[in-house]
Amino acid sequence: MVPVQMSVDPNAYAALSALMFFIGVLGVVLRRNPLITLMSIELMWNAANLSFMAYSRAWLNNAGHIFTFLVITVAAAEAAIGLAIVVILFRPRAQSNVDDAMLLKG
Amino acid sequence: MGGYLQYVQTLDYQALLPAMIVGGTAVIALLADLLLPRRIANGTAILLGVMATIMAGLYASLSYGVHYLAFGGGFVLDGLSVVFQEIVLLSTLVTLMLFNRRGVSEDRPAYVALVLWSSTGAMIMAGAGSLMTLFLGLEILSLSLYCLCAIARDREVAKEAGFKYLVLSSTASGFLLYGMALLFGATGTVTISALIHPATGIHGLYALGMGIFLIGLAFKLALVPFHIWAPDVYEGAPLPVTAFMSVATKAGALAALARVIYTAIPQPDAHWLLLPTFIFAAASMLVGNLGALAQTDIKRLLAYSAVAQAGYIVAALAGATELGIRSAVYYLAAYAFMNLGAFAVAALLSSDREEGTQLVAYEGLAARQPLLAAAMTFFMLSLAGMPITAGFLGKIFILSTTIHTGYWPLGALLVIGSAVSFYVYFKVIRAMYARVERFSHPEVRPPSQLPWIAVAICAVAVIVLTFVPVMPGDATFFVK
Repeated sequence: MVPVQMSVDPNAYAALSALMFFIGVLGVVLRRNPLITLMSIELMWNAANLSFMAYSRAWLNNAGHIFTFLVITVAAAEAAIGLAIVVILFRPRAQSNVDDAMLLKG
Repeated sequence: MGGYLQYVQTLDYQALLPAMIVGGTAVIALLADLLLPRRIANGTAILLGVMATIMAGLYASLSYGVHYLAFGGGFVLDGLSVVFQEIVLLSTLVTLMLFNRRGVSEDRPAYVALVLWSSTGAMIMAGAGSLMTLFLGLEILSLSLYCLCAIARDREVAKEAGFKYLVLSSTASGFLLYGMALLFGATGTVTISALIHPATGIHGLYALGMGIFLIGLAFKLALVPFHIWAPDVYEGAPLPVTAFMSVATKAGALAALARVIYTAIPQPDAHWLLLPTFIFAAASMLVGNLGALAQTDIKRLLAYSAVAQAGYIVAALAGATELGIRSAVYYLAAYAFMNLGAFAVAALLSSDREEGTQLVAYEGLAARQPLLAAAMTFFMLSLAGMPITAGFLGKIFILSTTIHTGYWPLGALLVIGSAVSFYVYFKVIRAMYARVERFSHPEVRPPSQLPWIAVAICAVAVIVLTFVPVMPGDATFFVK
C-alpha cells in the first residue's frame, strides 16, 4: 500500500490518529461542558488532519497537505461560530452544562 | 490527483459562475444594508436575493448538456450538478419569500445573506468532484445554517437549536473528514471518481474509510439512526430556515452521495460497501413515518416526514442504475416543492408574535381560508403519495427501480411506510376540514402576503411535475 519508506511507520500515525479520533468521539458523547464538547470536535478534525499529513507523505501526493490547510481554515471559522453560539446560549446561566439546554426534547 | 492544476481557464470560472453570483449577491445585500435606510434595506435585500437566484438559475440552465471538469476536476459540470443546482436555487427562491415575520425582520439582510451563502455551499456540493470541494461546500452550507438557526435571539429555542445543530453536525463533519482521510490513505487520491475500490480482495482501510464517510453523509441526510437532531433543530429554527434546511441540505448531501455511489463504487462486487446506507434508508422509512404519527407541531411533523422522504430517495440509488438516479432527481424535485409549499402555508398562518406551526392553528382552516386549506391539502396529499400527484409518480418510479435492481425489500418498506404516512398527513387535512365548528383559534393576520407567491410557485411546480414527469436524461451522465 505504501510506496515510500518513512522514518516513522505510517501505521503508527494511523494508530495515533485513530486514538485521537476515538478520544474526540468519547469527549462529545460523555463530557457535559459545551467548551469541552467543542474541543473534542476539534480533536476529531485534527485526527483527520494527522491522517491526511501521514498519508500525504506516504503517497508523495501533496493533496493531503492542501486538504489539511483547508480543514484548519474551516475549523477556525467553525470555532468562531461555535463559541459565539455558546456565549449567547449560556451567558444568562451561571454554569454551562449541555444538559441545561433542554427546551427541545428529542 | 489525476490532473495537476496548472492553468485556470475562463471556462472554469464560468462553470462556477452560478454559485459565485449567489455568493457575491450576499455580500452586496449586506453592503446595501449598511448604505440604505432600514425601511428600504429589508425589501432590497429580498429583491436582490430573488434576482440573484433567478439569474444564477437561468445561467446554470444554459450549462445543461455541457460536461466539463473545472479546476482540475475539483468542480464537475454535468447533468447531475446542473439539476441539483437548479433544485437548490428554486428552493432558495421560495425560502426568500417566507421571511415575512416582523420578529425576524430587523436582521433581514443578514438572513438573506446567510441563506444565499448556504445556497452557495449546497451548489458547490452539487458539483463537487473532489473530496476537498465536497468538504468545503458542505461547511459553507453548514456554517451559514448554524448562524441562521441561532440568529433569532428573541427565541430561546432557536439558540438551543443552533447549538445542538452545531455540535451534532460538526461531529458528523468529523466523521466525514476522518472517512475522507482513510479513503485518501487507501487510494492516494482525493478525486471522487478515482476513489475506486482496489481491485484485489477486500481492502480493509478502504472499507473502513468508506463506511465512516457514509455515516457522516447519512447524518447530514438525517437517516435513521442519525436523525435524532432533526426534529429538535427543525422545531427550534425559524420557519423559513427550517424550510430551507429540509430541502437544500438534503439536495447537497444527496448529490454528493449520488456522485460517490455512481462514480467511486461502480463495480457490482463492491456494492456491499453501500449496504449499511440502504439499511439506514430502510429504517428511515419506518421510523420517520412512525415518529411523525405523534407530532402536533407541523415543523416536527415535517421533520420526521423529511427523515422518511430522505429514505425513499436514497433507496432509489440502490443498485446504481440510470433509472435510479433519474427517479431520485424527480422525487427530490417533487419533494422540494411539496415541502416548501407546506412551509409557505405555515408562514401565512404565522403572526408577528407566533409561528403558525401548531396543529391547533389549522383547525377549521377550510372555513376561514378555503384557498389556503386547499393548497395545504394538495401538498399533504402529494407528500403522502396520493395517486395522480407528483409524490405518487415519484414513489412508483422508485418502487420500480428497487424491483428492477433486486433491492425489493426497500420497495416493500416504501409501500408500508407510505401507508403509515397517509395517517400522518391526513391528520393535518382532518384538522382543517373536520373540526370546522371549533372556532377557538383566533384569526391570524400574516405580516405580509409574500408567501402567497411561494405557495403559488410550489403548487404550479408540483402540478407541472405531475403532468410532465420530467426525468432529466442528462442527470445520468457523470464525467469521470
